[in-house]
Amino acid sequence: MVAYAELHALSNFTFLKGASHPEELVETAAGLGYEALAVTDECSVSGIVRAHSAAKHGRLGKLIVGAEFQLQNGPKLVVLAQNHRGYARLCRLITSGRRAAGKGSYRLVPDDLADGLPDCLLLWVPDNRLTLDTNDYWIREAFATRLWIAVELHADGLEKLRLERLAVLGRQLGLPLVAAGDVHMHVRARRALQDTLTAIREGLTLERAGFALYPNGERYLRPRTQLARVYPRALLDESVCIAAAIDFSLDEIRYEYPRELVPHGATPAGYLRSLAEEGMRRRWPAGVPRKVTDLVEHELELIADLGYESYFLTVHDIVSYARSQGILCQGRGSAANSAVCFCLGITEVDPERMAMLVERFISRERNEPPDIDVDFEHERREEVIQYIYRKYGRERAALAATVICYRPRSALRDVGKVLGLSGLQVERLARSMQWWDGQQVDDSRVREAGLDPDSPVMQRLLWLTRQLIGFPRHLSQHVGGFVISNGPLAELVPVENAAMAERTVIQWEKDDLEELGLLKVDVLGLGMLTAIRRSFDLIRAFGGRDYTLANVPAEDPVVYDMICRGDTMGVFQIESRAQMAMLPRLRPRCYYDLVIEVAIIRPGPIQGDMVHPYLRRRNGEEKVEYPSDEVREVLSRTLGVPIFQEQVMQLAVVAAGFTPGEADRLRRAMAAWKRRGGLGPFEDKLIAGMRARGYEESFARQIFQQILGFGEYGFPESHSASFALLVYVSCWLKCHEPAAFVCALLNSQPMGFYSASQLTQDLRRHGVEVRPVDVNRSAWDASLERTANGSAALRLGLRQVKGLSADGARRLAVQRPAAGFRSVQQLAERSGLHRGELGALAAAGALASLDGHRHRARWTVAGIETPTPLITSFDRFEASPMLRRPSEGQDIVADYRSTGLSLGRHPLALLREQLLRRGYRSSQDLPRLASGRHLRVAGLVITRQRPGTASGVTFVTLEDEFGHVNLVVWKRIAERDRQVLLNARLMGVDGEVQTEGGVIHVIARRLRDHSTLLGELQVRSRDFH
Amino acid sequence: MVTPAKTPASLRDAGPTSAVTRRRKPPPAQQSLALTPAAGTAPAAGLPRAAATRQLWLCLYLPGLPLAALQCAAAEPVDAVFDEQQGLRRILLATPAAAAAGVHPGLSVNAALALVPGLQLAARCPAREQRSLQRLAGWAERYTSFVVVEPPATLLLEIAASLRLFGGLQALRRQLLRELDSQGFAAQAAIAPTPLAATWLARAGQRRCIVRPDRLSGTLSTLPVACLDWPAAVTDALYGMGIRCIGDCLRLPRAGFARRFGAARLLQLDRALGRLPDPRDKYSLAERFCADRDLDEEQADSELLLRLCEQLLLQLERFLLARQLAVQRLQFVFYHLQEPATSLALGSARAERSMAQWLELLKIRFERVALPAPVISIRLRAGRGQPLTATSGRLGFAGEGRPGVPIAHLVERLAARVGERAVHGVATVAEHRPDYAWRLRRACDDTPRCRTEPHPGHAHRAPQLLADMRRTGSLLLQRPLWMLDAPAPLACRDGRPCYEGALELRSGPERIETGWWDEAGIARDYYVALNPAGVHLWVFRDRTGDGGWYLHGIFG
Repeated sequence: MVAYAELHALSNFTFLKGASHPEELVETAAGLGYEALAVTDECSVSGIVRAHSAAKHGRLGKLIVGAEFQLQNGPKLVVLAQNHRGYARLCRLITSGRRAAGKGSYRLVPDDLADGLPDCLLLWVPDNRLTLDTNDYWIREAFATRLWIAVELHADGLEKLRLERLAVLGRQLGLPLVAAGDVHMHVRARRALQDTLTAIREGLTLERAGFALYPNGERYLRPRTQLARVYPRALLDESVCIAAAIDFSLDEIRYEYPRELVPHGATPAGYLRSLAEEGMRRRWPAGVPRKVTDLVEHELELIADLGYESYFLTVHDIVSYARSQGILCQGRGSAANSAVCFCLGITEVDPERMAMLVERFISRERNEPPDIDVDFEHERREEVIQYIYRKYGRERAALAATVICYRPRSALRDVGKVLGLSGLQVERLARSMQWWDGQQVDDSRVREAGLDPDSPVMQRLLWLTRQLIGFPRHLSQHVGGFVISNGPLAELVPVENAAMAERTVIQWEKDDLEELGLLKVDVLGLGMLTAIRRSFDLIRAFGGRDYTLANVPAEDPVVYDMICRGDTMGVFQIESRAQMAMLPRLRPRCYYDLVIEVAIIRPGPIQGDMVHPYLRRRNGEEKVEYPSDEVREVLSRTLGVPIFQEQVMQLAVVAAGFTPGEADRLRRAMAAWKRRGGLGPFEDKLIAGMRARGYEESFARQIFQQILGFGEYGFPESHSASFALLVYVSCWLKCHEPAAFVCALLNSQPMGFYSASQLTQDLRRHGVEVRPVDVNRSAWDASLERTANGSAALRLGLRQVKGLSADGARRLAVQRPAAGFRSVQQLAERSGLHRGELGALAAAGALASLDGHRHRARWTVAGIETPTPLITSFDRFEASPMLRRPSEGQDIVADYRSTGLSLGRHPLALLREQLLRRGYRSSQDLPRLASGRHLRVAGLVITRQRPGTASGVTFVTLEDEFGHVNLVVWKRIAERDRQVLLNARLMGVDGEVQTEGGVIHVIARRLRDHSTLLGELQVRSRDFH
Repeated sequence: MVTPAKTPASLRDAGPTSAVTRRRKPPPAQQSLALTPAAGTAPAAGLPRAAATRQLWLCLYLPGLPLAALQCAAAEPVDAVFDEQQGLRRILLATPAAAAAGVHPGLSVNAALALVPGLQLAARCPAREQRSLQRLAGWAERYTSFVVVEPPATLLLEIAASLRLFGGLQALRRQLLRELDSQGFAAQAAIAPTPLAATWLARAGQRRCIVRPDRLSGTLSTLPVACLDWPAAVTDALYGMGIRCIGDCLRLPRAGFARRFGAARLLQLDRALGRLPDPRDKYSLAERFCADRDLDEEQADSELLLRLCEQLLLQLERFLLARQLAVQRLQFVFYHLQEPATSLALGSARAERSMAQWLELLKIRFERVALPAPVISIRLRAGRGQPLTATSGRLGFAGEGRPGVPIAHLVERLAARVGERAVHGVATVAEHRPDYAWRLRRACDDTPRCRTEPHPGHAHRAPQLLADMRRTGSLLLQRPLWMLDAPAPLACRDGRPCYEGALELRSGPERIETGWWDEAGIARDYYVALNPAGVHLWVFRDRTGDGGWYLHGIFG
């Protein structure tokens, strides 16, 4: 049989054109016995790493890296990298094309190829005119012996003509001919999907797409026997010759760390050591404990062995910059909690506090790069990013990409559109794909949308949608993963423009980088860090101590008491309803308990059913048994229940005989098995391995089930440890400096789980005075004021006022006389606020100190004349009308509408009598009711939450004047009373009290909508899916 | 020179409301002022009293018009109508049944569909609403000679003179509402001496009849400000000051009110209360040309009749010229004394107003139509007037030849001669399937372009199509000029297709497999074949079913 190498194939990383995943192309080409396959996406190598790893683990002889380019005013070319240098050229070419155009497009003109692309081979792909334009003769001169004419025959009725004319042309130009496929899909069966993609790309329905579609489905990987019938033998042979001339694999890519971080004359190892020693002296001024010096010594050795010094130095440099600017940061990730990182200031988690082994995080055998993510204050992360760009230049630093893929809803929308369904029909269908449907499109959902799943159109729609799900759609930027290299990055991987101005991204995403061993530093934003830094600042300014993450008093029992009560609204991580409900049962008493707490209340452990065994064992209701000493060593710190990702990997090593490398692959497969499937081989190996080591089958099965449960949500201990520190610090602040803490939270909004209204209510329940917005007192931010007895009160900031700009508010604060404004007119003239913003102040009640009640303030403000350059002051005498003072209810409504919170009575307090008449109790009564009692309770809906893990349960939180009611709505009730569940602002519930371990829930039996009682009160529920 | 800070009085006089304030002494601060009849001496006295002849206005407010207008026209029942604001589609109105299921106005379309998956939704169509309103205005004219159309959803009828004829206020109102109901519309009706008062009462849903002007202010005072139809910003501001009803507004100082909310609103209140006249425009029907020519005696001479028609056409031309319109359809009706009238409809390929064109068409038709009897009267009725689109003339360069008859005129003449249905054009369609690559196009398309044309996308512009064909190489492809209506199966001998002898395949295959998205998907290999008689045929082998051979076209 003839040999063949496919030199022109597009994967679905040529977005909306290629109809097969790179892996599919590689596997099919291997199956067909191709000598080689070139993946040549249009001006992109985004898919090449996936193809590369598929080729490595499969049987494909050779994978060629290339790209296709349609030049502006020029021919279409396929460029193949002949060697490593050619690859760098190719990346540069792609980069210059992509950087010259907006996001998602490229622009290359013949001049861009003026250097002749040495070390690359080129195919010219003639268009249907089948001649070389005289303008394009330069390509023959420029590429001379490295240029071929690609002959692509697709049974379109013109093959004979094409072959003849190109042969003549080849003779005229002295260019050899080669067979190529212009492959768009791995099998013919993707034809329909390919047409669909084309129609989506062109924005047409299939019916109208006309000649934009290909006439047939020949652009697939054809069997060699068929190729032999279509192409002359010589052309096929030529393809193999070209493939043979190419000698490059992505494995050759070598990443180098930036070198400038090391002072002249020093080695990276020596410099890191000196920094670590300096840090040790700073951390332990009274003398470094022996244990620590040993640990640091051990870690440095390990780092040196693996050659990771530069990585630690890079992170250290970024963190030092942030520290110099007063930006709070905290590292996390596999290597972040080492003693070295503590000494370098990358993390504040004291290794003594945890007794951690760095090998838990970095392993000598696993050739896996260390991973440090650094969280910065979310509002100041941009400063850090700009520093990185400044320091390394755009040439050497860029963000990693994130490949945005089709999800069920987006796939359904696009496919529906091109099949000619009306916008409403598609929307209706997409709508019925509720967020809890998972990854599959379900026939019953179609029926629910009032469409017939058996009709041919629907069949096509569903069939195509299922295929399209998971297809990449475009590149976006990773949240903060930076790749920094020593040489120009564009020679390593192409760089392109992101949607955000002044941002560039590389064409690979996180997994690709990991696969090739490229290092990335995650520069992430974290709202809680902003809030903590602000709390520290407020405390200092109020005359308190100068706190840092490191000197907040550790292991304070009062703080743990508060945590055990579940009194954690507003703190980091353990503030969600599920977390709050778990705290009184888990009763964390020390730092490591918090580490577990952070990791255990997550979808992974919940799905893997690890929470309850852990709870029972912790409460001494269940004996902890270990099948062997090795397992005891791995699991004893979590009472025999695997909670962390690292434990699963260690178990695989010690109990099932995995090599560390295999364990690492298991970890990655764990993260992706839902998306891609395929834990199969690991399942067999794991269970067989454990059986062979004498563990019982049931134990092995249980471990495997727990691994499955981890799924995408598996949480590494290293992350948990870093988060736990922030949890502790935020709890300490809430406990000891509640006013400063809530003040900082309000000034860092939007963040976290709770609204300003709930945070201030909680603060007042804790006995802190909250004062209203006042133009004569408030700044833009909320602030602290001293009360008569010297304690702190919270003054709400002007930022709370809806419709007031930050600029206007700052002007107001600057122009405010020391004694305060005398009148609204003076305020208007001094601050230059326009009438709309003054109206916003009046609506918020912020003018109360000047003009009495709201109604009067609104009247006054509406009559304010905007000062002009000529006429700057109006002190007009005006008849002032009698206006009714607003009622309490009206004031509350206006408070909520304008500031999102009210310092008056809770709206439900006003309605209490009406509610009592209807038989509703308050949240205050709940603790007195026995578990299992029926009751009626009502409240404002403040959150609705439907976690993917909870099999259709919706959690609703109601609020009344005394506190919260946690509602559990089972699927059946949710469906029956769906309208109430979705729309009610004031919800009444018939239900049953359920008390467990100090946590009270109400199981809903019937929901009622009493929103009409609220009148115009607008309460926004935060809905989480 | 005005120095504002020091002389506030001068500023006040220069203000927009000076006409009102100047006549008054500066009022004491806390006194309630101005708008109530008792206090409003100065402004009210200076204005003419409400019109001398008593007027009585009946307002029909149709809150459900957006839905009702659609339901009248739609083939399928509509449950709710939505409109789009800032890219958000929100429910505007819903039927009671849909409302009971929770589909409330303001709900987003997505949320509505989440609630009721089978909901039948339609987009709001303001044009249709206005047509409905116009139609209702025409209907209302049978009750009064003075009907006012107030878009978007209000009709005002001046009924003072009609009361006696229709048996009094209540009887008239009942009859109006009943007839509205039978046409599928529900209205809120109110009666008051001023049009604004009637409108506001109707909008507020009050069924009150106010006949005496002195009762106006008392009743209006109780209405909420929301029924004033003022912009949301104004009503919100009023609301923020604790002002809930018109009475609250009337208690405000006049000057202060005008400064904050505009003098126009103040005048509106005055008009509603009858302190200012409120003249309105009477509704009148849109014009359509229709003219008759009566003959003194019966005439059968076609020459003479044509001349008379020409005169009518001349009238039409003047009519159209004055209005900058053109028409695409005409109808001549010839009345006979004994026989039923003969009607001749004329259509043209594009909107025309030139008499000469129409006359020529008429002549052609006249040659073929035999009038059954002599004519006593001729009527010319023109179709819908369309805005005229001007065409630019051509510069007559030497060598370009004599400008020929435009093809459109040829088509018109042909159509006039053999009937419109017999004249077609052929259009190419961008489609790979040979059966769908072309279509017939009506030559004289007179109906306004419908949005749901069967294949609008196929109406490819010619240059674009050509470019596409060049790009895809389909210009190079061989296609027979004569295509069979449906492919004809071919017999096979020894695996070779036969048509009057075994076929020799000369070129191919050209593989066409596409169209999977409708019920006519194909997968075929086309060949050019030669039969023993030397005829070139276009045949294909079907790749889907049994792999049979078919004849699809003949090259000649």
